Amino acid sequence: MLEIKEKSITIGIDTNKCDTCETKACAAACKKYARGLLQIVDGKPSVEHLSAEEVLRLGTECLACEIACKFEGNKALTINIPIAGLDVYLTKRGLQ
Amino acid sequence: MAKFLEYQGKEWLAKAGIPVPKGRSASSPEEAQQAAEWIGKSVAVKGQVQAGGRGKAGIVKLVETPSEASAAAAEILVKTVKGLPVRQVLIEEKLAIKKEYYCSFVINNARDARCPMLMFSSEGGMDIESVPEELIFKMNIDPIFGLQIYDAIDFCVRAGIPNKELSKFASFLTKLSQVYKKYDCQTLEINPFVMTEDGSLICADCKMEIDNSSVGRHPEFGIKIARDLPGEVTELDMIGWSIEETDARGTGFLMNMGYDEVSPGYIGYHPIGGGSAMMGLDALNQVGLKPANYADTSGNPVGSKIYRVAKSVLSQPNIDGYLLGGFMMANQEQWHHANAIVKVLWEELPKKPGLPCVLLLCGNREDESMEILRKGLAELMTSDGIGKRIEIYGKEHVTDTKFIGQRLLALAKEYRAEKDAQGK
Repeated sequence: MLEIKEKSITIGIDTNKCDTCETKACAAACKKYARGLLQIVDGKPSVEHLSAEEVLRLGTECLACEIACKFEGNKALTINIPIAGLDVYLTKRGLQ
Repeated sequence: MAKFLEYQGKEWLAKAGIPVPKGRSASSPEEAQQAAEWIGKSVAVKGQVQAGGRGKAGIVKLVETPSEASAAAAEILVKTVKGLPVRQVLIEEKLAIKKEYYCSFVINNARDARCPMLMFSSEGGMDIESVPEELIFKMNIDPIFGLQIYDAIDFCVRAGIPNKELSKFASFLTKLSQVYKKYDCQTLEINPFVMTEDGSLICADCKMEIDNSSVGRHPEFGIKIARDLPGEVTELDMIGWSIEETDARGTGFLMNMGYDEVSPGYIGYHPIGGGSAMMGLDALNQVGLKPANYADTSGNPVGSKIYRVAKSVLSQPNIDGYLLGGFMMANQEQWHHANAIVKVLWEELPKKPGLPCVLLLCGNREDESMEILRKGLAELMTSDGIGKRIEIYGKEHVTDTKFIGQRLLALAKEYRAEKDAQGK
């Protein structure tokens, strides 16, 4: 599992699923919609060519990699976007 | 602007060395009585709400004894003024007033000014709006050097202050201008400040509003949310503020519009930009739908910020629909909206199957954005799918508020009928 932390989100990639992914759509989307942070190394997405600080600085949190992976790839990538207070808001209303 | 209630403003004035009447706030008749006992003389009981015209609204009363203060507080604390409940009263000493004056420091936005401006009148008290223009004296203040004592003296001469009082008034106004600057105020209005029988100048009222952008410099204020809100801060307002507070990457504004979370006819409202928001409200108003909230994701925000706003909008209970109103042409890249909306709807529609979602996007990267929406939502938008009431529109309807409103209304009626049939 690859975990990439940007300023306010965490990208999780189940890289086991990436071996059989033919499109590598996440990297293409990253290049098209953002700054091309994701690169394909040995058939898997990677940000090893960047330091953690560079990922934080360059990451644009565009969400395109998740959408691309979901609809064109192997559904290996999920992005967690916390929203402060929303869980409490929903719990109070019985919606959680 | 972050607005202070009168008693809060006076506390900050007092800390800055400006004379205010002896007093303190109370939230109950008992506390009001204790405060009046502490003051030990006749007091004024003043309801604390962010509204003018408090005297006329009957929430300012002068009383002689602590028990009368308690009774007056009991009467005031159950009132509502301009839709705002009175939760606190200020108990303060009754002043022996010789004369009332008005002064305020505001921002003069005129092109040739762009600086603070002092307004002053010797006709202070209630209804300053009715004072003739020629009796209100104005002076721009140098934003770097502030109000200097010699300028204040000239100003007071012009305003008709008697010679023997010039120094006192000039000093008072100069100190107030320093407070205005020190606290990064947008407005500091003292109406009235009074000259007492013994010749002292005291701030009998205080309206203090702090520049939102400066709140970060003033942790001492303890301001939870630096926004202009119509009423009390709600949970949704706090969620909206958390999205914006530390993230300046475009706008991600979200605020409650006072919906009751129970009645039908409310729409989760997500416009993109101010003009778009007005057109979206037109679309809703024309068909009798109401916005549950106001939002704005403009200025090319990042996808995560758009996601947070959209998710919060869609999380509101009992809404009859969701409107992404990208009316008019937007200069930002709309594909960030498209990616965020696809993610949110995949997460939220299982909780609200069949919720009407009218998505209008137009602007830069429109074709790519439409492709993301259509491709990303296709599986949901089947005739029996949880997204069966999603409709996507682009530039062909970008100014067509009537059409968008009517589509949303038709879908909302269908959705409400379906929910009613299911007993939900």
